[in-house]
Amino acid sequence: MLRILRYLVGLGLIVAAALWFVTLPKPLSEADVAGLTGDAAKGQAVFWASGCASCHMADGAKDAEQLVLKGGQRFGSDFGTFIAPNISQDPEHGIGDWSLLDLANALKRGVGRKGEHLYPALPYAAYAKMEMQDVADLYAFLKTLPADPTPSAEHELGFPFSLRQGIGVWKLLFLSEDWVIQGDLSPSATRGRYIAEALAHCGECHTPRNLIGGLKTSAWLSGAPIPGGKGKTPNITPAKLTWSPVDIVAYLTTGFTPDYDSVGGHMAHVVENLGRLPDSDRQAVADYLAVVPAVE
Amino acid sequence: MKRVFLAAAVLASVATVSIAQDAEDPFADAVEMRHGLMLQMATDIGKLGAMAKGEADYDAAVATKASANIAAIASVISMDQFPAGSEYQASADSFALPALWASQDDFLTKVADLNTAAAAMQVAAATDVEGVKAGMAQLGAACSACHKAYRQPEE
Repeated sequence: MLRILRYLVGLGLIVAAALWFVTLPKPLSEADVAGLTGDAAKGQAVFWASGCASCHMADGAKDAEQLVLKGGQRFGSDFGTFIAPNISQDPEHGIGDWSLLDLANALKRGVGRKGEHLYPALPYAAYAKMEMQDVADLYAFLKTLPADPTPSAEHELGFPFSLRQGIGVWKLLFLSEDWVIQGDLSPSATRGRYIAEALAHCGECHTPRNLIGGLKTSAWLSGAPIPGGKGKTPNITPAKLTWSPVDIVAYLTTGFTPDYDSVGGHMAHVVENLGRLPDSDRQAVADYLAVVPAVE
Repeated sequence: MKRVFLAAAVLASVATVSIAQDAEDPFADAVEMRHGLMLQMATDIGKLGAMAKGEADYDAAVATKASANIAAIASVISMDQFPAGSEYQASADSFALPALWASQDDFLTKVADLNTAAAAMQVAAATDVEGVKAGMAQLGAACSACHKAYRQPEE
């Protein structure tokens, strides 16, 4: 009997050790960023397409203030309140002394400067699919932005979500560099997929989540409850989004629906961001949305 | 017996409240006024939008008239249509958030931005379809700036 017990305890320890090991942060190495040189002008387009400022600027910031990434906006969720950190160029309170590898780790692996797991409120499940060259370009653009000395605030999360090791489990289940929409796509739809799935992270709000906050990719872009808010984001699969491609491009450019109502809520940020990209990129997103499977 | 009485009292008070709401919504006129302005605005923007999208041929006369209407409507928007208290859930059809009154100066700045965008559209609409397209982007930004900050999203 004692022997069985001992055996079970031993097995339990091995399983625990294995679980601990597989849920450790998995950072990139210097080799992954070797030889990359960023282009700040290209990085500016990556910056807007990825919506960095929408969450990291001060609430309601306009014009040049949108480039002061001091953090502080609060995002309610089922797990607690996430508070956007300062990612300005301040070396102490922002990311002014981060290397390109540090930025790549945060965006593509969800790993922070001290090697810790970052919460997926930073949409690295999308950014994981980014081209490393785009990360380098973004890094070069971020370097041109101002420093702000506002300290970052701690997230307000309840137990057990306050334990970061659990994020390792989340990553095992949900972090993937594979495209959600597979198959042969036209060049424009392929570009649209890159914008929608990797940069603009449309799925983060438009795709429903399971109990532990992973995106249900089988119901991709079919609408979801708004985290920490009222109502739902709309289903933007072809089952419900019946606008013509021309209407979609016009909406992403001007914010006007086909009825000439205008965009509000968080989507207004998205339109503002995508409005800064070339016409061909908005057309690409419309072409991508046309090939997403219809979900009723 | 006591419970029955309590239930009746609750029912009666619920009935009274809902009758009172039906009888007089002091903000009904103001809310109707702003919805009317927005609907006419959408109608005129729609004429320009159809040209921008290539659904309609560019017509300088139509574009000029539509943009003049938009400028006229924009100039009418003021606190006249937004009496204090006519907010989301206080008035039946209101989607205006309390923040509109809490940040009234900012709201009026955004209204001024709309007037600026409408004036720019008046100049642009008289030129060509490219002008209309550029004007639509500026006008759209002005509309959504306000709707983002001060309108409750529909469910």
